[in-house]
Amino acid sequence: MIRSLFLIYGLAVLATLSVAEYRGWSLDSVDEVKNVPRSVRDNPGSYRSVYGYYHHYTGGK
Amino acid sequence: MSTSGPNPPGPPQVKSLNCPGCGAALTLRSLSQAVTVVCDHCHSILDAQDPRLTILQKFKAAVDEDPPLIPLGTRGKIRGTDYEAVGFQRRTIHVDGVPYSWHEYVLFNPYKGFRYLTEYNGHWNDVSILRSLPDVSPGSSSLAYLGETYKHFQTANAATTFVLGEFPWQVRVGEPADVSDYVSPPRVISSEKTGKEVTWSMGEYIAGRDIWKAFQLQGEPPVPIGVYENQPSPLTANVKAVWTLVGMFLVLLLVLLIGVYSMAHEEQVFEQSFEFNTNTPGEASFVTDIFELKGHTSDVELATNAQLDNRWIYLNYALINQDTGHAYDFGREISYYHGYDEDGSWSEGGTRDSVALPSVPPGNYYLRIEPESDPSRGTIYYTVTLRRDVPQASFFGLAVLALLLPAGLLTWRSLNFEHLRWAESDYGGAPDDGSLLNTGENVVDSFKGSTSGDDE
Repeated sequence: MIRSLFLIYGLAVLATLSVAEYRGWSLDSVDEVKNVPRSVRDNPGSYRSVYGYYHHYTGGK
Repeated sequence: MSTSGPNPPGPPQVKSLNCPGCGAALTLRSLSQAVTVVCDHCHSILDAQDPRLTILQKFKAAVDEDPPLIPLGTRGKIRGTDYEAVGFQRRTIHVDGVPYSWHEYVLFNPYKGFRYLTEYNGHWNDVSILRSLPDVSPGSSSLAYLGETYKHFQTANAATTFVLGEFPWQVRVGEPADVSDYVSPPRVISSEKTGKEVTWSMGEYIAGRDIWKAFQLQGEPPVPIGVYENQPSPLTANVKAVWTLVGMFLVLLLVLLIGVYSMAHEEQVFEQSFEFNTNTPGEASFVTDIFELKGHTSDVELATNAQLDNRWIYLNYALINQDTGHAYDFGREISYYHGYDEDGSWSEGGTRDSVALPSVPPGNYYLRIEPESDPSRGTIYYTVTLRRDVPQASFFGLAVLALLLPAGLLTWRSLNFEHLRWAESDYGGAPDDGSLLNTGENVVDSFKGSTSGDDE
């Protein structure tokens, strides 16, 4: 019973891995934004990134 | 089992007698096979070989002090043979002043002789007398029997503390015996030494529900408490099979890894160097030329190389599909600092960064880049590279973990089962001492023994 369950589980792990690699899944997170106007190409400053005005690290030791 | 074995079998007979102590009716089920019989009214132990039923001993006990779970006279089929429960005794050992008692049932078949069942805390064993001696090496903590090794588990002095029914030996309440158990789950070999006589018997673990089914007993058997000395582990037998599967899956994973890396396009679709002049105020954002992502939906790796020296740069990126307006928006910070202090040289960060954008469909794209850094610190040069269909090694790492974790958990539970088993032995500590493997060698040996046998 446990062996059968583990066999199914292991095959599922490999199948998921295969799909992840083929479809290009990633562990990095990005925001997806829809309907960005074409005018951005002519006026890049009109686009406001959600990552703008980030409080930056200014350190060093 | 303190018996010297049955006499030659005779036909099934039942004989009614009267107790010479109290006059109560006695039923002799095993007739000439019985050596002693106990009156369940006055608790006189009688000589069943004597026609006058001489009283050998009387002991004090309440009438229902310890009622047998299998009532005497009940018949059941054990390993294809009908047996009748004819005797019952309770035996007790003391460990660190704590009494531990178990029950033994004497079963009788006129053609097959006697057989025994033992019960302790809901754990049952089907016991029969050995007809040949096991191989016991002097000074060894194990013995061999029929090619199988049994490890010593416990030695104790047991005393009979309650008896009922018939026995094929001279049973007495209070009679001591040195009892040693050697285990190889699901079997146990026991030696009983009374005086100069040593009797060897073998028990095989049997589920209580099977006893109930065999004797058609009412209700449910007692729920087993704890792990018994020869109780087969429900997990250990599967450990080897699961680790075999893990090995197989790891090989498949390696094949998959080679396949993915050899078939991945890792196609560079964009590369350009830029400079960011922090002395120039105003809008810093700009867009790149349009480039095409071909093929199937895949990840896109964006790598940034920046020439930094005790500085940082933050880049707001947006990968925008020219045709659909769908954008992937993200920000990356790159910083590199280094220097010397009283501890010597140090460095922090790096000049390279990469990020994988998930599942980007094919199409025409451009990048919007908006750099930020400390103002008035000169020019920062950086290069942006995009590659599509890049294998993600992290998924292979996760897959290895996903395969190892359940197998590890199963192994841990199996070892814990063995720990609980050996914690009750002469070699184990208390099970609540917080140490999983304080029974070390025995646990590992049991684990090996269990996994080298049957796989199911």
